[in-house]
Amino acid sequence: MIFRAVEDADLIVRARRGDVEAFNLLVSRWEKRVFNYLLRLTASPDDSLDLSQDVFLKAYQNIRKLDDPARFGPWLFRIAHNEACSEFRKRRPEAHEDAAALADREAAPGIALDLSLAVTAALDRLTSEQREAVVLKVYQGFKFEEISEILGAPVSTVKSRLYTALDLLKEELAPAKTRGTK
Amino acid sequence: MMESGCDREQLRDFAFDELAVPARAAMERHLAGCEACAAELAQIQLTTAALRVLPDREIPQRIAFVSDKVFEPSRAVRLFSGFWNSGARLAFVSACVLAAAIVFSAYRRPAEIRSVSPSAGNATLSRDELSREMDARINKAVSDAVARVHEEDARVMKAALESANHKAEQQRRTLMVAMSEQMNMLQKRLGVFREYAMAGPERNSGSDQ
Repeated sequence: MIFRAVEDADLIVRARRGDVEAFNLLVSRWEKRVFNYLLRLTASPDDSLDLSQDVFLKAYQNIRKLDDPARFGPWLFRIAHNEACSEFRKRRPEAHEDAAALADREAAPGIALDLSLAVTAALDRLTSEQREAVVLKVYQGFKFEEISEILGAPVSTVKSRLYTALDLLKEELAPAKTRGTK
Repeated sequence: MMESGCDREQLRDFAFDELAVPARAAMERHLAGCEACAAELAQIQLTTAALRVLPDREIPQRIAFVSDKVFEPSRAVRLFSGFWNSGARLAFVSACVLAAAIVFSAYRRPAEIRSVSPSAGNATLSRDELSREMDARINKAVSDAVARVHEEDARVMKAALESANHKAEQQRRTLMVAMSEQMNMLQKRLGVFREYAMAGPERNSGSDQ
């Protein structure tokens, strides 16, 4: 992970000097994480792909504004967060898909369907802010300080959103997991 | 239910690996003696494990917009990049390598002398010995050079003298030949004059009669 960070920093320095290949390599390293982050927020693969495209375009255009290459991850996810927020504002009137449809789309092979359904339904019951805090912490593994930077909110707010979400998820998922793994 | 003395937020921070080392150690000690907190921690871990059941999906299509012309780097950057990826770079790097080799060679030269010196044997020469040997070699080289210069000077001088002698001899011979011819000419004229003088009185007397 340390070597990876060092290599990323080197690629960022090269990309800032206009090395397109270095930036393409950065894209190939980060595109899956960004796509899955956006997919868990938007629940739409097509929208997530389009948004990912926009995220990396903006990252390329603004990479000279990145002060510390070591903070590339949070900086990139900050752009992704902003893009997702813009998307939500545009399509707010649209109805959300039901939990069953989401579960059908995200169900993992070899995993009991009722657990996948339960997880997807539980996540869908959270507010978008709570869900984003869970995605950034549990699925993307960011530290609170980094999530604070991504969301532009204080660490205390981030923790409050995450722990409130955790209380809701615990009620839903602990029994669900017991049933699903029988 | 958790006991009133338990710090629920710290327990959750612990569960998400957000505690500093001292606080983490303290929480581990607390968990060893507090069943309620241990049960709460187990429930959090069960919940996060359930969440991770949903795997990451592969991206359906690679993102590759940067190859578009619009996003190419500026002209200055491309010029610099062109230089850096061209033969000029090779020449520059070659010059650097050559310079480094010269510097390295200059620093390595005393060591080479030491290694080829027959008097050194396989023992390491001291600095004074090395200095003396270098002086001796330099003196010998200077003497040889001076001797070569003297030898060359002598050879040139000898050649010049030989050339001058040869020229003088040629001039002398030419002069001798010219003088000989003059002498022959004078002798012939003298002979003619004598014949004319001897025949003169007879012609004069014959005409008087």
